[in-house]
Amino acid sequence: MRYPNLFAPITLNKLTIRNRVVSTAHAEVYAEPGGLPGDRYIRYYEEKAKGGLGLAICGGSSPVSIDSPQSWWKSVNLSTDDIIDPLNRLAEAMHRHGAKIMIQATHMGRRSSYYGEHWPHLVSPSGIREPVHRGNAKTIETEEIRRIIADFAQAARRVKASGLDGIEISAAHQHLIDQFWSPRTNFRTDEWGGSLENRMRFGVEVLKAVREEVGADFCVGLRMCGDEFHEDGLSHEMLKEIAQAMSESGLIDYLSVVGSGADTHNTLANCMPPMALPPEPFVHLAAGIKSVSKVPVMHAQSIRDPNQAERILASGMVDMVGMTRAHIADPYLVTKIRDGREDQIKQCVGANYCIDRQYHGQDVLCVQNAATSREATMPHVFEKAPLKRKVVVVGGGPAGLEAARVARERGHDVVLFEKNDQVGGQVNLAAKAPQREQMAGIIRWFDMETKRLGVDRRLGVAATKEMILAEQPDIVVLATGGRPFSEQVAGWGVAEGLAVTGWDILSGKVAPAENVLVYDSMSAHAGFGVADFMANRGSKVEIVTPDVKVGDDTGGTTFPIFYRRMYANGIIPTPNYWLDRVYEEDGKKIAVLRNEYTEALEERAVDQVVIENGITPNDGLYWELKDQSVNKGQTDVHTLFASKPQPSLTESLGNGRFLLFRVGDCISMHNIHGAIYDALRLVKDF
Amino acid sequence: MGTSLAHALTGLFWLTILVLIGGLVRRSALWRQGRAAPFAWSALLAVPKRYFVDLHHVVAREPFIARVHVATAGGAVAVLGLVALNYGLMLYQTWLDYVILFFSLVMLAGSVAVWHRRRNAPARLSKGAWNRLPLNLIAFSVGMAVLMVTHAAASAYIIAVLALLGVLAGAIEFARGIGAGGPMKHAVAGLLHLAFHPRQDRFAGKLSTDLKPLDLDKGDFGVAKPSDFAWNRLLSFDACVQCGKCEAACPAFAAGQSLNPKKLIQDMVVGMVGGSDASFAGSPYPGKPVGQHSGAPDQPIVSGLVDPDTLWSCTTCRACVQECPMLIEHVDTIVNLRRNITLTTGNVPNKGAEALENLRTTDTVGGYPVDVRYNWSIDMDVPVLKAGEQTDWLLIAGEGAFDMRYQRALRALVKVLKHAGVKFAVLGAAERDCGDLARRLGDEATFQRLAKENIGLLKGMKFKHIVTPDPHVFHCLKNEYPAFGGQFDVHHHSQVIQDLMKGNRVRLKAPVAATPDFTYHDPCYLGRYNGETDAPRNVLKGIGIKVVEMERSGMKARCCGWGGGSAFTDIPGEARISDMRMQDVKATGASKVAVACPNCTAMLEGVVGDRPDVVELAELVAERLAD
Repeated sequence: MRYPNLFAPITLNKLTIRNRVVSTAHAEVYAEPGGLPGDRYIRYYEEKAKGGLGLAICGGSSPVSIDSPQSWWKSVNLSTDDIIDPLNRLAEAMHRHGAKIMIQATHMGRRSSYYGEHWPHLVSPSGIREPVHRGNAKTIETEEIRRIIADFAQAARRVKASGLDGIEISAAHQHLIDQFWSPRTNFRTDEWGGSLENRMRFGVEVLKAVREEVGADFCVGLRMCGDEFHEDGLSHEMLKEIAQAMSESGLIDYLSVVGSGADTHNTLANCMPPMALPPEPFVHLAAGIKSVSKVPVMHAQSIRDPNQAERILASGMVDMVGMTRAHIADPYLVTKIRDGREDQIKQCVGANYCIDRQYHGQDVLCVQNAATSREATMPHVFEKAPLKRKVVVVGGGPAGLEAARVARERGHDVVLFEKNDQVGGQVNLAAKAPQREQMAGIIRWFDMETKRLGVDRRLGVAATKEMILAEQPDIVVLATGGRPFSEQVAGWGVAEGLAVTGWDILSGKVAPAENVLVYDSMSAHAGFGVADFMANRGSKVEIVTPDVKVGDDTGGTTFPIFYRRMYANGIIPTPNYWLDRVYEEDGKKIAVLRNEYTEALEERAVDQVVIENGITPNDGLYWELKDQSVNKGQTDVHTLFASKPQPSLTESLGNGRFLLFRVGDCISMHNIHGAIYDALRLVKDF
Repeated sequence: MGTSLAHALTGLFWLTILVLIGGLVRRSALWRQGRAAPFAWSALLAVPKRYFVDLHHVVAREPFIARVHVATAGGAVAVLGLVALNYGLMLYQTWLDYVILFFSLVMLAGSVAVWHRRRNAPARLSKGAWNRLPLNLIAFSVGMAVLMVTHAAASAYIIAVLALLGVLAGAIEFARGIGAGGPMKHAVAGLLHLAFHPRQDRFAGKLSTDLKPLDLDKGDFGVAKPSDFAWNRLLSFDACVQCGKCEAACPAFAAGQSLNPKKLIQDMVVGMVGGSDASFAGSPYPGKPVGQHSGAPDQPIVSGLVDPDTLWSCTTCRACVQECPMLIEHVDTIVNLRRNITLTTGNVPNKGAEALENLRTTDTVGGYPVDVRYNWSIDMDVPVLKAGEQTDWLLIAGEGAFDMRYQRALRALVKVLKHAGVKFAVLGAAERDCGDLARRLGDEATFQRLAKENIGLLKGMKFKHIVTPDPHVFHCLKNEYPAFGGQFDVHHHSQVIQDLMKGNRVRLKAPVAATPDFTYHDPCYLGRYNGETDAPRNVLKGIGIKVVEMERSGMKARCCGWGGGSAFTDIPGEARISDMRMQDVKATGASKVAVACPNCTAMLEGVVGDRPDVVELAELVAERLAD
């Protein structure tokens, strides 16, 4: 019996869940205006239910009160009866596939932004400002406490009425309940502060009110932190005391534990552990809580692999595993485990594209799965096309791999040309950066899938027009990517050898020198990655960018990881400077920098200047093939954006008549998700 | 014919009869070393029907050899009968000589055909004395014909003497066969075996595949030495004609494991008579040269006569029994020997001992907690039958329920049953192993305990029928539980789905064009053990799948290698049976093989490398259901 623990049902109160795999509460940023789950929201969860997961807890941080804002990040709004019908549709969708569904309810207190929607005055036990969200707050009054407790009960009533299987109250990530718990935020001297009993009072009152509303048989869970990682915050021992008290209260049916506080940029980066952190970095905190808990314990944080999940359960550390990002990457995770198709799992690599978007108020998307949350239009599972075609894909980066995979899934004959000996394109370089190795996991999956599906892969072959036409294609998809755009500014002197590109360094073509200036005009992962790569090999590195801060475009949970490494490795951050030119003097490279705001010029004498300026498209083949193609290389954006088949697909093809499309960076520079989405939305209709 | 020649024939006839009777007395003394078994002289009356119908039914599968045997044996019997009449009773009628002449020529034709075939014999045939036999038969028939002709033409004395010598050579072969254990032993022992066959119900139209219970309370722990066999079992070994049909069908032999069912039966003869196996003139047990083993009626069979790995190589697939023209019961023999090993020493090789320990302590083969058996059904709302409740069908999932691969098939089966509106339930944590593996591995005690406990449980439940996807469960419950008082209406899921389809209770998606990319692998315990080869094929046909048959299919299917605990005892050979079976699949050109047994599923999916997909019957139906 494989995975005996993972597939053992568990009963929480009266709720029997078919396995131990949970999609834990996270902010989806999909709700329709008013905070109501719509078609997109329901399909996103329904896909996981189809995929076999046991329990989904939706609606991370769904507010119960009108003064806990939800609109700016499109969360579910539990403060209105309007929520009942949409949640009911969600419950029905989940139950149809044998999965259970709960929702997280909370009041976020100070952990939000006041500017927008109702412009509320945020509340917190002692009115201390929250730094991450710039959450200025007032000191909460007893009357407001009573109102919010009543709001929790009303939200619980709505949840139960909707037919959901349970409600989870959040006391994690510094929401209002754990703002009361934490000595970092609660300095009150009344019955709501001081002793632990007093600090726990608000949470207990909330749970009592909820329990009273939903009755004894409804599943109620509590999500809490296992250690805030702040000197003045909640320690693991304090939280064990709280957990024990809560578990013995008879009010809750499970505890969900996460590690790390979340009210600073650096602690926030731990919450959804990115690839730089080891696997399940905080499971020991959950295990500590389990050692005192009378109710089952759930834990999610970087559990992304079935064997890992089974091991954690088998060792008795926790009772249920949250595999949330794992499900964003592959909603069919559980079915694939169950059916012995582990090799086909698109495994989360911890790139945190999902959560980094969320912290920008953007909808959660997966770096490697463009179908996630687009279930209405983008398939996770493919039907065979009625007409078998010959598809030639040129370029084996993420866009080309996705195009080849999807075309093959649709049943077409697919030839994939890749000029290098291995597929992966720029992602192979991205994986060279320190603690970014797991980026290669994205390619590993595509590599295995294109092999498994039987794509005719011609690796180490730089396709020419003649080779492409010799295949007698019906459709040609160019995914030829790009090359470093280092010629944009002639003064950088890349052509003359005064500067090199990030690719030169990461690919090993050029060895890092001792004193290095990395000029990063993009502020994304690539520039920081190359700086870190060189510092890691002993270079003294200064990273210069015209942006407001270095690594500015890497995301809320990713830049702190870079910054940890930056300060540890002595990388000097120099934001707000342009690189005008590079010249040579006394064997040194002299970089001329210009301040964005003062126009003042500065010079740096270094051994090496490294340029990261994004890429410029490889479009040579396109121009060679364009005139010969039936559609003149044009992609119809109206149908593309509407997720409809390209009109040109109705043309009669073959015998030298072919369609020509481009996807990804060979059009203009996008990110990995953009490249994959380009390919999926186009090729799914071939 | 001269009077003296006629008298010589009369003398020779009666001498032959005397020698034959003497030999039979001697041989029966050997058989009587065995334990008692039910006996009635009247059983002899059944022989002609059993010979001409039951035995011939098997022989006729090879039409050429059947005709040859009819000519040879029929001619010989006719000649002997007529000689008995004309010369034994001293009628000396010339016209009868012409009739004898005619049958001598018939016999000669048959004998020549036998001789000719033996010049280029298939490997499965034993050589040695069996190569001598056609020559003596030819000598006899030629001699007899010449004698009859000599009479007609009053020919030279010397020719008559030579002819008489030929007849004598044949007469010696007939007369001494039974007493000295020569090839012609088979004629007498074979007919007696038909009369006193240990499985009389085989002649009443039954497959009779159930193992018979041991009386453990009376200290019956199976067979340790030849004299522990019942006397009619010893007799049955003497019926063997060493044709090697069993050998050719045996998957273990083919895989180079140290088993040859033909040799095993001959070894039992060696043990019964006493001596060495040196004179065995057929294929040895692979990897074991002949001449190094010997036995005696009261000496242990293991390991002096037969090594344990020979016994543990058997998959109990019954291919040998199915093929045997003499209706010998090889599997009974092997299981009887295994029983003694397991019950008295516990020396079951490799994972076999662990599996038995698991069954004793957990009621499951794999050592699982019984309450996780139906975990896979938790989200399918499958009711667990409780005392006092009632259902139409009881679904018994068996050990396959613990295997994640097979859970897919089980989920598919549940989906089909629900789709068709079948009212069914499971036993949940109350289900114990059926005992199949314990029984095949010789642990009769554990089997009987499980059987009795299951029967007690099932008798306390209210259901009309049982359905199981596991042919081993199916066989145990249907065929082996009745001996312990458990009479249930048991169906294999292929039968149930077939009936649901016949009753138009399965609504299918629009059919796609049938492509010949499927073959079907018959589970031994469904096919040979229960004769059910049609239902799975009907189901496949019903969902629009065209089956390309393997050469070894239906009742002649090759085992997957799991049965009889072989997957657990895991006796090494040169190949793996499952790999060979997958080769059979590949030989059809099919890209998928449909299976109908959790163990076949596991064995065939365990074949590494590029191979056709293994899909369970219920999965195929489930994926074609409408809605």
